[in-house]
Amino acid sequence: MTRNFIRFAASTILAFATASVAQDTAPTDTDTSMAATSNAIAAEAESRDRFVSLDKNVQDLKKEVLDLNRDLFLLEEELLFPANSQVAFFISMDVGEYFELDSINLKIDGKEVANYLYTEREVGALLRGGVHRVHMANLKTGEHELIAVFTGKGPHTRDYRRGATMAFDKGIGAKYVELEITDRVKKQQPEFVIKEWE
Amino acid sequence: MLFSRVIAVALCLLLAIAMPNPPAQAQDGPDPIVVKDPHYGEVLFYFYQEDYFPAIVRLLAAREQDQLEQHAQESELLLGGLYLSYGHHLEAADIFARLLADNVAPDIRDRTWFFLAKIWHQRGYLSESQLALDKLSDDLPDNLRREARMLQAQVFIDTGQYDRAIALLQAWDDRTEWASYAEFNLGVALVRSGRVDAATAILDNLGNLDPNNEELTSLRDKANLALGYALLQDGQPGAAKSPLQRVRLEGPFSNKALLGVGWADAENNNYQRALVPWMELRGRDLLDSAVQESMLAIPYALAKLDSIGQAADHYLNAIEAFYEETNRIDRTIGYIESGDIFDEFLADNPLDSAGWFWQLEELPDGPEARYLYHLLATHEFQEGLKNYRDLSYLYRNLDDWQQRIAVYANMLETRREAYTLRLPVVQDALARADLDGMVDRKLELDSLLNDIENGDDWLALATDHEFELWGEITGLESTPALAADIPEAAEVRDKIRLLKGVLQWQLEHEFKDRLWRIRRNLRQTGEALVETQRSRRQIDDTMREEPERFADFSARVYGLGPRIDGTKFHVADAMAEQRAFLQSIAVGELQAQKQRLDVYTVQARFALAAIYDLAATTVGEASP
Repeated sequence: MTRNFIRFAASTILAFATASVAQDTAPTDTDTSMAATSNAIAAEAESRDRFVSLDKNVQDLKKEVLDLNRDLFLLEEELLFPANSQVAFFISMDVGEYFELDSINLKIDGKEVANYLYTEREVGALLRGGVHRVHMANLKTGEHELIAVFTGKGPHTRDYRRGATMAFDKGIGAKYVELEITDRVKKQQPEFVIKEWE
Repeated sequence: MLFSRVIAVALCLLLAIAMPNPPAQAQDGPDPIVVKDPHYGEVLFYFYQEDYFPAIVRLLAAREQDQLEQHAQESELLLGGLYLSYGHHLEAADIFARLLADNVAPDIRDRTWFFLAKIWHQRGYLSESQLALDKLSDDLPDNLRREARMLQAQVFIDTGQYDRAIALLQAWDDRTEWASYAEFNLGVALVRSGRVDAATAILDNLGNLDPNNEELTSLRDKANLALGYALLQDGQPGAAKSPLQRVRLEGPFSNKALLGVGWADAENNNYQRALVPWMELRGRDLLDSAVQESMLAIPYALAKLDSIGQAADHYLNAIEAFYEETNRIDRTIGYIESGDIFDEFLADNPLDSAGWFWQLEELPDGPEARYLYHLLATHEFQEGLKNYRDLSYLYRNLDDWQQRIAVYANMLETRREAYTLRLPVVQDALARADLDGMVDRKLELDSLLNDIENGDDWLALATDHEFELWGEITGLESTPALAADIPEAAEVRDKIRLLKGVLQWQLEHEFKDRLWRIRRNLRQTGEALVETQRSRRQIDDTMREEPERFADFSARVYGLGPRIDGTKFHVADAMAEQRAFLQSIAVGELQAQKQRLDVYTVQARFALAAIYDLAATTVGEASP
């Protein structure tokens, strides 16, 4: 009777398992001889090299696809929203103690153009300083009216619904309008401010 | 300084996500960034949701359009962070190498290089990992400095620089749990460099460790197991038992330890005792090689104890069990080679762009899963799966663009046709509209109005009716009959004078008001004319530029189409290669298991044949 398992000895249990807090590798069965250990180390290196070679290819492809996406993103935007008529509406949040955003409804010149329901993750991103482009539109030059209705939980987690209105002038060139939710500490109420970016 | 703060935010966010034990600074949560360009805020919106791919695309697009002027430097660093989070580590390193030298606090710079070194080691980029470690100064916090030192030792071991690894690990001087890992890795380096005896001394020390957490307990088990087998191999079964018995009964190494304990007793010819741990193994998972071997060890011991019949039964059971297990392995190999496993894996894991930090925890359900779980513990398989998943995301992204670009090509053609149809109509209307003539007339009217005002010509502003009345009155004035010197004529003359006076008074009275109204209308007309001239210029510009715009869009749309097709083709190729790589790892593992089972089966058959021979001989000798 051959004791197969005794051949699975100290050298190989150790040889393939460097230890660290974050990672732990189970031992692997191989022959105990150093020659076999060397072969296995060589095979491990070969497999690693193959992985690295594939990974480099994946890295190149990621770059290629990201660059392609950039070009496509720009093409799409320029094609659908030419600079002369483009208006972008952004939502941002500052502090957010008194208001927990659920959704936003936008009307331009009396016509509903966007109704966006926010996920918890998106609200979290807004609270940390992210700005959400909620709507893009093509508008003629001249005066327009924006009505934004914010829905969510207000102070004391009560249902809260507030509107903000702004007239804005669309000139030649792209226009960016930001709808900012801030806290009015004195009144312990949220405040909804619409502003135009320079 | 705002810039430093923003960099800190970007890096701490990354490090907080990436590191198992984030530093306190990152855990506290940095202040929100002051956004000065909405497009920068938009990138952050996706970044904070860990949607790295759209965040990178938006950042690249905004940078291309000069929309990040207020955040020029931070955005570059953020891009590095995003690349890193997305697993685009080589590109990230380029940016960090460029930016980290001067612009950030040394501790943040060190953390970033440490993180990169760790990623590269994990991905097998050993020379890159070494380069990143070389960039570290002394500004890492203590816990990370220890981890970095350990990483350095691992890189030395993986690159075959055992003496350097041994020197580094022997000089380990702290009393934290890292010291135990250092000791273990020292053992690894010694074994790999051929100094097994020296390694066993280290193992003995580690085997008596008093662990305070699961990882250290596992490390102790592993050391005891290695030591036990080293002693068994060295012909010291009695000494081997003690370390093997220190291994936990329910840990990942318990099967091998139980098998070893049995062999230690068997080596001392105590087969009765050897059967105790081996019988315990009988009920355990047959996937484990120790359990498989116990199925041969049990009848071996029974035969030694002269229980030949029982031994034969156990050998037969083992052969049957190995046969069934081999069939299951064959089915699993077929399943892996068919590629279905990868389709199911993708179906079970939504392809968002989370990228780097994603890790597969669960395999698709099925009888095959049990053979593959241990593969999940290996970096190569996990990283390979990540790449496969990333490639699938890229493929789907390109697939989506392929359809959209076709729509845009259509849209462009429709717009071009509509433009071609409308152009003659517009040109005809423009030819008919004499804008210059209108401007001349407006100027004439201005001049006329000036004359009226200067000449106080109130009659010029009379309405048609008033002017008619005025004509009638002045006509009546010159009627010859009214010149008669009679009271009736004088009465009529008075009435006419009165009427004329009233009309004149009215006209004079309203003169300024009428003048203002006309001037206002004229001004509005002038403004409308200016607006019309501007529109006209725009139309002229558009007519001049539109063909160029169409040509530009056409070139882009029709240029991007083939780029998408080509890249998609490369991505599909890379997916196939990645799949083949993963298949080779998985199938290789299974083939090794199968080969081991084949060897065990052959051994069982030989042993069974020997038993039958012995039985036949015994029967032959016993019969007269």
